[in-house]
Amino acid sequence: MEIYVLVKQVPDPEAIVKVKSDSELEIENKYFTNFFDEIAIEAGLKLREKFGGKVTVLTVDNKKVDALRRGIAMGADDAIQITDPALEGSDQFAIAKALATYLNLKDKPFDLIFAGRQAMDDDAGMVGPAVAELLGIPYVNVITGLEVDDPKKEVKVIREVDGGKEILSCSLPALFTCQKGLNNPRIPQVMNVMKAMKAQIKKVDLAALGLNAEEVGGKAAKIKVQKYLPPPKRPPVKMIKEDFPENVKTLVKLLREEAKII
Amino acid sequence: MALDFNFTEEQEFFRQMVRDAVNRLIMPKVKELDEKEEFPWDLWKEFAALGYLGLRHDEKYGGMGTDTITQMIFYEELARGSCGFSMSATMQILMGTYFIARFGNENIKQKILVPAIKGEKIGTICFTEDQSGSDLAGTRTLATKVDGGWKINGRKQWITNGPIADFATVMATIDPKLGLKGLNFYLVERKTENRDGFVSGQRLHKLGSRCSVTGELVMDNAFIPDENFLGEEIGKGVQYAGEILNEVRVMTGMNALSIAKEAMEDARQYANNRIAFGNPISRYQLIREKFAKFWAWYEASRTYLYKCAWMIQNNIPCIHDCMLAKYHSTEMCMYAVEEVMRIYGGNAFCSEYPPQRFWRDAKFLLYGGGTHEVLCDYLGRIYCKE
Ligand SMILES: Cc1cc2nc3c(=O)[nH]c(=O)nc-3n(C[C@H](O)[C@H](O)[C@H](O)COP(=O)(O)OP(=O)(O)OC[C@H]3O[C@@H](n4cnc5c(N)ncnc54)[C@H](O)[C@@H]3O)c2cc1C
Ligand SMILES: Cc1cc2nc3c(=O)[nH]c(=O)nc-3n(C[C@H](O)[C@H](O)[C@H](O)COP(=O)(O)OP(=O)(O)OC[C@H]3O[C@@H](n4cnc5c(N)ncnc54)[C@H](O)[C@@H]3O)c2cc1C
Repeated sequence: MEIYVLVKQVPDPEAIVKVKSDSELEIENKYFTNFFDEIAIEAGLKLREKFGGKVTVLTVDNKKVDALRRGIAMGADDAIQITDPALEGSDQFAIAKALATYLNLKDKPFDLIFAGRQAMDDDAGMVGPAVAELLGIPYVNVITGLEVDDPKKEVKVIREVDGGKEILSCSLPALFTCQKGLNNPRIPQVMNVMKAMKAQIKKVDLAALGLNAEEVGGKAAKIKVQKYLPPPKRPPVKMIKEDFPENVKTLVKLLREEAKII
Repeated sequence: MALDFNFTEEQEFFRQMVRDAVNRLIMPKVKELDEKEEFPWDLWKEFAALGYLGLRHDEKYGGMGTDTITQMIFYEELARGSCGFSMSATMQILMGTYFIARFGNENIKQKILVPAIKGEKIGTICFTEDQSGSDLAGTRTLATKVDGGWKINGRKQWITNGPIADFATVMATIDPKLGLKGLNFYLVERKTENRDGFVSGQRLHKLGSRCSVTGELVMDNAFIPDENFLGEEIGKGVQYAGEILNEVRVMTGMNALSIAKEAMEDARQYANNRIAFGNPISRYQLIREKFAKFWAWYEASRTYLYKCAWMIQNNIPCIHDCMLAKYHSTEMCMYAVEEVMRIYGGNAFCSEYPPQRFWRDAKFLLYGGGTHEVLCDYLGRIYCKE
């Protein structure tokens, strides 16, 4: 079974993020692998353990390859970094284009593609579905259950819907985006961690993909960031100096009229 | 460019992986581990399965054979969660197996080291007795040569993993009158129906680091075969002990770093949210000073410890550096856990909040690898070229 997993390194929720300019963020150098992507990797590994084959992790990133290394540490066979200066400023669609182009180039056809349900930084949830659209294969988002019938090339997936579950099936090849509950991503063994530390990451640039610089990057972006705004600062504490019971009356009044929370 | 303070991309990745394992396996259980005061077998098995117990051992025996800096990164990340767990694990990785890996014959390595790396057999090291701690020359545990082996007699106390250990590296004297020159290491296994060895004595209840179990080991005329003598020559035990101390000290320093950092990160959050007199207390200069001091000492400690790790790795003599760095980082840690007790106000004094745990846990750092009085006495003497 030929399995690909789309992965991304995202800022740690604890990283300090500052608005540098209207269209640029300054992010503290603290990253981790998007947790939904770990679930996707685990899904791939489980299938490989059952049916054999190969799991390849794939990222579009000019700098960070730790998501790929984590993939290898978890047990993936291969890691590919799509990187090119012209990819800077790409939107999700351009990222998907690079990924789909790469997947189309493969002489050995893929059976399954997994991605996280969304990246925990931009929360867009677009790359997975866009790749499937570009490849013209079926996809189901946010799955929490998966059953593959390899000989029949059929898949049954589960996803949570309001008040219940939805069971869907489709043929292979297909793409699924993974949600918490699908599995429990394994903690890498140190032996694989060491392997991942030394692993050579294969790099693929736009030329290798046969893409032009104009098709990706900031200029081609269909979505443009207009402006980043920092969250409002914590307002100063207001001390109510009156005595009881006036202070309670004032507090209730302020909660109702100023804070508008009661 | 001879001076380079950066970790490599690979080392950063390794750190991230260890951190993650600690976050997932240990962090959620930290409070429970402290309160239960029991050895966490389930966690031990889960952790052992990841393979870190073989970090510094030969690949031939199931180890990873990593370099010193990688090991120190591991120790720094490990103690962030539970000090007690870290204590048991580092005993297994370093002191508890060091002499077996170094002096054990193939039979012993297969019998002891291989299962130890898998976490299936638990090890420890025994120096301390009721009359001898800092002063090894006071060791009374006696090793008597007999046909085909040795008879060991004595009681060891304060033994990490003691109540659960399967094997121990025991320091014993061939004659108390010889002082330091009479000391050697012997491998002693737990007594069973068909094997002589040690039995567990009293278990101690500790102030902190409570999930590592600690207690007495008693050897009553315990016979061990000749191959269990760990060393090349008789009378060199103290020299051998000295040869592991650099690593032990830097490892202890790494524990100090991570306990201090964890305590302070927690306190920072508290100080930014705790309001007194209309402001978060982190706005008050007297509180800020605590963070500033910690920060300065922490960075200095960390840089020095990694320098020591680098020196060990490159076989550069560094015995004084390792003492200094261990001393500095531990005192830094004592400062941090003490100040966190103050930053938290009265809340620090109850078990619902973490400062008291950091404070209790950190105290063990003061004793291993030489008490600070002993270290300072020695270092001062060296400095004065007395
Ligand atoms: C949690 C924990 C786990 C431990 N695990 C182990 C273990 O697994 N195996 C093991 O063998 N031991 C273990 N120990 C024991 C530890 O190694 C000893 O506590 C340590 O060696 C100090 O010895 P002591 O406690 O007997 O103190 P002592 O040597 O009795 O010292 C008492 C005081 O006198 C001071 N002092 C001693 N000599 C001098 C001097 N020359 N000049 C100035 N001051 C001096 C000391 O600094 C100290 O303040 C453990 C201890 C703890 C707390
Ligand atoms: C064992 C125990 C028993 C107690 N019993 C009682 C009792 O019976 N009845 C009772 O009413 N209370 C009791 N207390 C609570 C005790 O009075 C409070 O802990 C004490 O008043 C400090 O307040 P706090 O803990 O809220 O700390 P906070 O006021 O929140 O202080 C937190 C930190 O900020 C610092 N800080 C605060 N303001 C400033 C400033 N302006 N400048 C610089 N630093 C500042 C403090 O020094 C401290 O380091 C008890 C506490 C303990 C530990």
